[in-house]
Amino acid sequence: MSASHPISTEDLELLALGVLGGEECQEMRTHLSSCEECARNLAEARGRVALLSLAAPAQNPPPDVRERLLDKIRSAEIPAKKPAPARPARSRPLHVPARWWNTIWVPATAVLAIATVLLWITDRRIDEQLRQLQQQTQTYEAQARRAQALVSMLAAQDTKTVSLAPTPRVPTAWARVKYNSRMGMICYTGDLPAPPPHKEYQMWIVPMSGSPVSAGAFMPASFNQGRLCMAKMPEGISCKSFAVTVEPMGGMPHPTGPMVLTGAGL
Amino acid sequence: MNRALDTENGASDWLLLERVVRKDESALAALYDRYSGLVYAESIRILRDGSAAEEILQDLFSQVWRTAEKFDPQRGSLPGWLLVAARNRSISRLRRNHSRPNDELTETSVVLPCTLETAVAQNQLLGRVKNAMSSLPNGQREAIELAYFDGMSHSEIAARTGAPLGTVKTWIRTAMDTLKKELT
Repeated sequence: MSASHPISTEDLELLALGVLGGEECQEMRTHLSSCEECARNLAEARGRVALLSLAAPAQNPPPDVRERLLDKIRSAEIPAKKPAPARPARSRPLHVPARWWNTIWVPATAVLAIATVLLWITDRRIDEQLRQLQQQTQTYEAQARRAQALVSMLAAQDTKTVSLAPTPRVPTAWARVKYNSRMGMICYTGDLPAPPPHKEYQMWIVPMSGSPVSAGAFMPASFNQGRLCMAKMPEGISCKSFAVTVEPMGGMPHPTGPMVLTGAGL
Repeated sequence: MNRALDTENGASDWLLLERVVRKDESALAALYDRYSGLVYAESIRILRDGSAAEEILQDLFSQVWRTAEKFDPQRGSLPGWLLVAARNRSISRLRRNHSRPNDELTETSVVLPCTLETAVAQNQLLGRVKNAMSSLPNGQREAIELAYFDGMSHSEIAARTGAPLGTVKTWIRTAMDTLKKELT
């Protein structure tokens, strides 16, 4: 990424994967339409992402699909190879009086055409509404599952609570973490000032051995005022401590920024 | 196995495409035999509907037959294009989106980091992808699968899984990073 090529390889992969929101995509596409180098990089990113298709369970198409394909292309080629001879033009009188049924079927056809278009538009609207309702239902179901999981975790006897203490960078900050290693769940609440521009806070689990594991990036708006952040954590992990750092938007795979909160696990 | 079949099995995609341009049916059949399994498996995983996946498979290879002369092998690979176009069309159909994605052979360049021209190469890569996916933590694997096979955005995945948006972004970025290291 540079000033003249402002899109990183990672962002091109996210674009190829199709996970970015509309505004982010639009900005990138505007640049890609005029930058050959970035367009080439996007083609490579598409290739890396396309390999994910190989994670699908192996399935071969039924044998008759191949035969139907070959029949289809043969039948499409025949007219091209043997064009039908052109018919001699019929001599027609210039002024033929309209037949009486033309006065009926012409308007009837027009009405049918309009009705077809209206039905098609209605069908598309219904499809869109259905899709939105399905999406809403999925969201509600996910929220219900999440709430149920949270209640189960808070009620479990082996759920532990850790208070995180502020570092000198933000002396007024605080947070409380509840976690259950057996259930692989962690939730936290607290109060933090707004992070620097283009930054987020990120919660880390520091295991007894190995590198810190991310438990999610968040903004204070979703963190204070009694709201909980809830995330999954590796099941069975032994927590040595917890920490909150300041990271670029979207979070990082490993901590890179300054620590603002820390606390020992139990 | 006869000699003609041996020749087709050993021919590069580029040579087969040249023969498709000259309307050689056996070349299209060879390309179909080479890639139909990958394309069909991807579509059926997305759509969970065999007849819809067959339709997409036939459409794609018909398009190769009709417009092979437009394909520029310098700008991308045929299997890459087939996999990307199959995914786009399947997700479009899944979402009941009536407009066809813009995936003409000339419009969508895809450069695969490896060859898929032989069954051996395909099987080796299949094993590596499956191993890499199974090495991901559950959250990351679920997020990547929802993104790739269900065509969901970051925010849609957050809504589906109940995880915070920032966490979903981290999962996807970390998973892509891991897969890239494992597969290239």
